[in-house]
Amino acid sequence: MDLLVDLFGYLSIVVHGLTILSQSMALGGVLFLVLLARPLAPRLGRTGIADGTARIAGYAALGLLLAEAATVALQTAVLVDTVDLTVLDVLHAQFAVAGIVKTAAAVTMAGLLLRLKGQVPALPLLALTAIELAAATLTTHAAARLDNRGWLLAVEGLHQLGAAIWIGGIPCFLLTLARVRDGITFREVGSRFSRMSMAGVACILVSGITMSLLYIGSWQGFYGTAFGVMVGAKIAMFLMLLGLGGMNFLLVERLRTNPLTSINRLRRFAEVEFGIGIAIFFAAASLTSVPPAVDLTQDRVSWHEIVERNIPEWPRLSSPDHDTLALPALQEKLDQEAVATKAKPQVAFVPGSGELPPRNAADIAWSEYNHHWAGLIVGLVGLLALLNRAGVRWARHWPLAFLGLAVFLFFRSDPETWPMGDIGFLDSFRDVEVVQHRFFVLLIVVFAFFEWRVRTAARVNRYAVLVFPLLCAAGGTMLLTHSHAIANVKDQLLIELTHTPLALAGIAAGWARWLEIRLNPRDNPVAWQIASWVWPMCILFCGLLLLGYREA
Amino acid sequence: MAVPYRLKTLTLLAALLLPAIAQAHAILEESTPPAGASVKAGPLDLRLRYNSRIDQGRSRLTLIRPDHAKDTIPIDADGPPDILSAHLTLTPGAYIVRWQVLAVDGHITRGDVPITVTAP
Repeated sequence: MDLLVDLFGYLSIVVHGLTILSQSMALGGVLFLVLLARPLAPRLGRTGIADGTARIAGYAALGLLLAEAATVALQTAVLVDTVDLTVLDVLHAQFAVAGIVKTAAAVTMAGLLLRLKGQVPALPLLALTAIELAAATLTTHAAARLDNRGWLLAVEGLHQLGAAIWIGGIPCFLLTLARVRDGITFREVGSRFSRMSMAGVACILVSGITMSLLYIGSWQGFYGTAFGVMVGAKIAMFLMLLGLGGMNFLLVERLRTNPLTSINRLRRFAEVEFGIGIAIFFAAASLTSVPPAVDLTQDRVSWHEIVERNIPEWPRLSSPDHDTLALPALQEKLDQEAVATKAKPQVAFVPGSGELPPRNAADIAWSEYNHHWAGLIVGLVGLLALLNRAGVRWARHWPLAFLGLAVFLFFRSDPETWPMGDIGFLDSFRDVEVVQHRFFVLLIVVFAFFEWRVRTAARVNRYAVLVFPLLCAAGGTMLLTHSHAIANVKDQLLIELTHTPLALAGIAAGWARWLEIRLNPRDNPVAWQIASWVWPMCILFCGLLLLGYREA
Repeated sequence: MAVPYRLKTLTLLAALLLPAIAQAHAILEESTPPAGASVKAGPLDLRLRYNSRIDQGRSRLTLIRPDHAKDTIPIDADGPPDILSAHLTLTPGAYIVRWQVLAVDGHITRGDVPITVTAP
């Protein structure tokens, strides 16, 4: 139980991301059903699209129920234990009431959708959608604001509605594209979903600009705070989505003149839109854990500090001694004191205790050394992948280099833990940062194994080829939620400023590879060529970013 | 370090569910007395102002005394939504006021305000 609760600390942002994802899919599915699948039913015929849409929305509502219930239950557990409140006391708090309303609406919605399927009446579904959105806004930043609360609650609701219409509706759109057979119906479905998406984009733009003005307030707030940087990441991904959506819009228009136009690209771009949309949801979840930039008047990073930190320097390729790191040095001092006083030696650091571990210059050098060697390996992978793309056959073994990276990170990323430090393997999982590092190591091993098989085996499972793009995109998405436990807020932000482009490049690499696999090179030669060159270049870019990484 | 099991569990639980202090959602914008201040022994009015609306009834102030003993500080029931206030009487020594607040949007954050009390 302890371990589960401990792990939830690390997973809380992930759970919140899943909450946003399932909410968007549930509400997006309902809106797709009401605004597209049912009005176009005569044209769609007996394709089962309304039933399929109801099933997607219904299961998403069940996911929302689980994610929201887990959030409320664990927050309640913390408050009961730390503030000595009864469960009933906590459940009267605004966040808990909002959470209960959300779960009640979600379970009702799921019941209606899964029982009545495509025949479910629109009015109760739309009423439940409105209730869900209203309750969801009460657990956003807006609910706790002192000023402009009403406006902010309204625009938060609008933002979530826009995300639901556009991103949340994509799985149902993909289902429809998979079941429709003729070009004229493709055009009608595509055209209507384009109009819905444009309405979603308008909601996101209006609310996003309003929130940026009220939550960030200035350029320095944008680049000098964690909140601003994460909003920047969201904007970058939003622009990627707009690009893909815009190209799909043009393809739908082409269907008007030529109903025989291939819709392969429409489907593949929509898949990528949904994938990038998920990354945006996790970035949004990450945003909720930091204070709005406008409130962080101290500890902002100046432009000069950003430039100074990013001036290229020769990589650090020799490591400091393990014994010179702050924790081993402190542990040795405590051990000596214990011997002198004949007392039981104290532990220098208890993982997960909430205290931040001490850091000295050797710790910084250790971390930079890790990043720089990782950069060399990742850069090598990118170069080999580019060579392989250019036709150099032996370079196809590039995934094996990732195994070297995994071994290197396993030993080096957390020197205070096993096998290099005194903290045991299982105990180390109480430290949020260690859990994240171990998760990334696992991702790298799985990724390397599958992709090497894909490149070298004579016959490959068709799902195995998707492991690389999915893990790469998932790794980039998870990196958006990664944090470094460093007491100095400025240093923490300067590190995030390097990790955010890394995450974006990982997401771009993953989805570009997805397109390379899923697009038909004969139907879409240009898009396929671009995708096949973009992902190795993104990996090379990641290597260069890591080589330039500095902590001081 | 010999930490009682229950205390360790609770600390772990709280610490891991809360975002890192440096990145907390609700942040302390101003405290009276300020962090690191020296005050004279005797009655003290404590006032902590945050950037968010706080659920005062579900927040907690703890006084860590110079001998590391911990006492819960009763929080004044009324007051503006962004402020926690309390009244203390302190003898000379080094104290820490540990705060844990529940913002009304459901985020729990915490932090410390160290103060030194000198002889009057």
